[in-house]
Amino acid sequence: MKGRFVSAVLAMVMTVGLVAGCGSSGQESWKVTCPWAPSGVAAMVSQKAAEKSTTYSENITLVAEAIKGDAATVNTWVADTEANEKEMVFAGEGLFSITSILDPAKMQFTYEDFAYVENLYSSIFVLSAQADMNIKNIADLEAFAASGEEISVAVNGATSSEAFLAAALFGDMGAGENLKLVAYASAAEAAQAVAKGETKFAVSHQSQILETYQQGGVSIVCAFDEKPLENGPFAGTEGVGEKGYPYFRNRCFIMARQGTDAAKVEELKKLYDDILADEEVATWLQDTMLLEVDTMSEDQVKEHIESVKAIVNEYKDVVTQ
Amino acid sequence: MMKYLVPAAGLLFTLQNILWINAGVFIGSIFAAIPGLSVILCVILFLPVTYSMPAIPGMMFLLGIYCAGGYGGSVSAILINTPGTPHAAATMLDGHPLSQKGRTKAALKIALYASAFGGVFSALMLLFLGPQVARVAAQLGTPEYFMVCVFGLTIIAGVSGKSIVRGLLSACLGLFIACIGSDPMTSYDRFTFGNSRLYLGMDLAVCLIGLFALVEVLAKAEKSRGALRLDTAKMEDDGKITKEEYKRMARPVFLSSLIGVLVGIIPGTGASEASWFSYSQAKNMSKNPEEFGHGSVEGIAAAESANNAVTGATLIPLLTLGIPGDGTVAIMLSALMINGLNPGLSLFTTDGDIMYAIMLGLILVNLFMLLQGKFLTSLFAKVVSIPQEILTPIIVIFCMAGAYSVNQNYFDVGVALVFAVLAWFLRKLDLPAVPILLGMVLGSMTETNFRRALLISNGSPTIFFSSVFCWIFVALIVFAVAMILRGKWKEREKAKQ
Repeated sequence: MKGRFVSAVLAMVMTVGLVAGCGSSGQESWKVTCPWAPSGVAAMVSQKAAEKSTTYSENITLVAEAIKGDAATVNTWVADTEANEKEMVFAGEGLFSITSILDPAKMQFTYEDFAYVENLYSSIFVLSAQADMNIKNIADLEAFAASGEEISVAVNGATSSEAFLAAALFGDMGAGENLKLVAYASAAEAAQAVAKGETKFAVSHQSQILETYQQGGVSIVCAFDEKPLENGPFAGTEGVGEKGYPYFRNRCFIMARQGTDAAKVEELKKLYDDILADEEVATWLQDTMLLEVDTMSEDQVKEHIESVKAIVNEYKDVVTQ
Repeated sequence: MMKYLVPAAGLLFTLQNILWINAGVFIGSIFAAIPGLSVILCVILFLPVTYSMPAIPGMMFLLGIYCAGGYGGSVSAILINTPGTPHAAATMLDGHPLSQKGRTKAALKIALYASAFGGVFSALMLLFLGPQVARVAAQLGTPEYFMVCVFGLTIIAGVSGKSIVRGLLSACLGLFIACIGSDPMTSYDRFTFGNSRLYLGMDLAVCLIGLFALVEVLAKAEKSRGALRLDTAKMEDDGKITKEEYKRMARPVFLSSLIGVLVGIIPGTGASEASWFSYSQAKNMSKNPEEFGHGSVEGIAAAESANNAVTGATLIPLLTLGIPGDGTVAIMLSALMINGLNPGLSLFTTDGDIMYAIMLGLILVNLFMLLQGKFLTSLFAKVVSIPQEILTPIIVIFCMAGAYSVNQNYFDVGVALVFAVLAWFLRKLDLPAVPILLGMVLGSMTETNFRRALLISNGSPTIFFSSVFCWIFVALIVFAVAMILRGKWKEREKAKQ
């Protein structure tokens, strides 16, 4: 009996201790949840922003957290968060423009559940090709697409932004029927696949293909942007927009819960703007992460979401074929 | 290389680095020893600490956590029959039985020495052969990965206990559980029943808590308190390992370290696979295979040296090709990138001293792990002398906290409980739990690579025999199956006699 009593008391004390530890400390710490891989681009930039937050604000400290899960993580976040809670979450065109059309049941939230704060970065994806194919620009690519050969493209996830960029490009070239999207579990794996010869092309973040490019395993064909790339090791690479092909940039929107005080949202936006204007952060984003600072208004965000939706609606059959 | 070693040593041997290594090793050991608190979680939690540090102390701290985590997971596997981390599950098979024989300290010591050897071995491989090995590993593609998985599945026979059929049944259950969540090739949901918590599938760390930790608590509840006290009283030893045992361990430790390195350099695989491969091979090659599962020193040594040999090997593709070898290393990548270092071969020329300092540091990390382990082992061993009425609620609370902390939601606590009940029923049916774990570890990887390979080849199975590496793995599979059949034949002969 004595032993059981000791057991019960100990379990209760420890449980109370655990629950007590879950309380808030009263500090103005804002937790920023990244719903993608902790080793991914967004998580890294979020960490950098958190590191800089104390430099630019005496009231707000950003705490970066990454819980892989995409829609599932955001579902949980929306369900567990109320207005004015010191919580923010990332979302992008992957959720608002792709999942919302292809698999809406997966999303237990809409854009209206959030208060937009800022865009963390813009990433211009690039298309790389096996080096020995000697495809170095859009003209070469058009010639290849016209040959009727199978076009295998490595992408990070079967219905990812990368998959839709590939589908839009080759679909617009009239080669959608020959397109074979090969899904990999991570962006790094997809970038490697083309160098190993498993696929002819890959769509990836610039930073993820850089090392393979420097080793001579791939050539960079084009960038998914309006104009040629201006900075970094791929400067001068043609943008598909120049030739009239559809494209979109990959963006990462920082969101608070809908209903959060407008003044607080504005304060958060200013903090992020200050961090992103920091010379060290901007240089790091450009030189190491090969990303761009691209602060946006909410109208621009909505426009981005709608333009990607239009591409998804047009090419979803190519992606899911 | 030599021109970088001296400046690298100068950068590495500072008081700051030594302190950070030791802090990392200590934290990693503690975290990994607690079921559910994985090494990856520990690295994520402590990553912000490194933001304001230069690259070398930051990486030393994280590597300390990473390597010590390899050993720390074995502590709870040996003491309470619950692997602190998934990759310590193979250690549990012999570690806990040896502990139950009253040789707890010896089991912990074997795990520590084997871990340290594996870690130093892989660090040396990284230092001297890193770039060359990485170039070969980079040629392994989807079909080769599938063959690795098939090779891995042959291990089921080795951990099935008395009946291979029962082992296969359990493994099938594990493979089925691995199917839950988003289809890896199409992203469509499978067996989620609209529950968004299941989109990502079952988390291995959560299931592990139920399968091995909470089920022990249920099993204890069935025993009388007198029986539990008898178990505890037996666990006192001086930790001595005999010369004969050292001799027996030498070969499996060396071979397993080699297997750990080979598995570790293949991105996407990890310490779990390495420890199971090594455990299986050690059993097949042992003169005393009947001891495996009953406290074999070779079994503990093989599993532990392999899972720690992975630590250095996963850094090979990271530092030389910029490809993280496993999830934990992928997070460490950000510690480098946040300092403006983009890993890859080019970094060896632009920042060679930093790269070599990190590689040399890995040797140091393992040596400090050995030192700390030597002192802390006796402390850990005292855990078993804690009365059951105190130890059991502590285990339960840690299990619950661990399950919650993986994804920070209560759903996972429920999953852990469901798996505990499942494991309890399986025990009653005499179905082993370890093959379930193997099915879960290898299921997703096997399926993804099988389907992707067929997609690449437009449905032609010849892709699985399309390279020299594929044929090497075919030979290994044939060898493994032959060894299993030989073992079974021997068992039958013995039974006849």
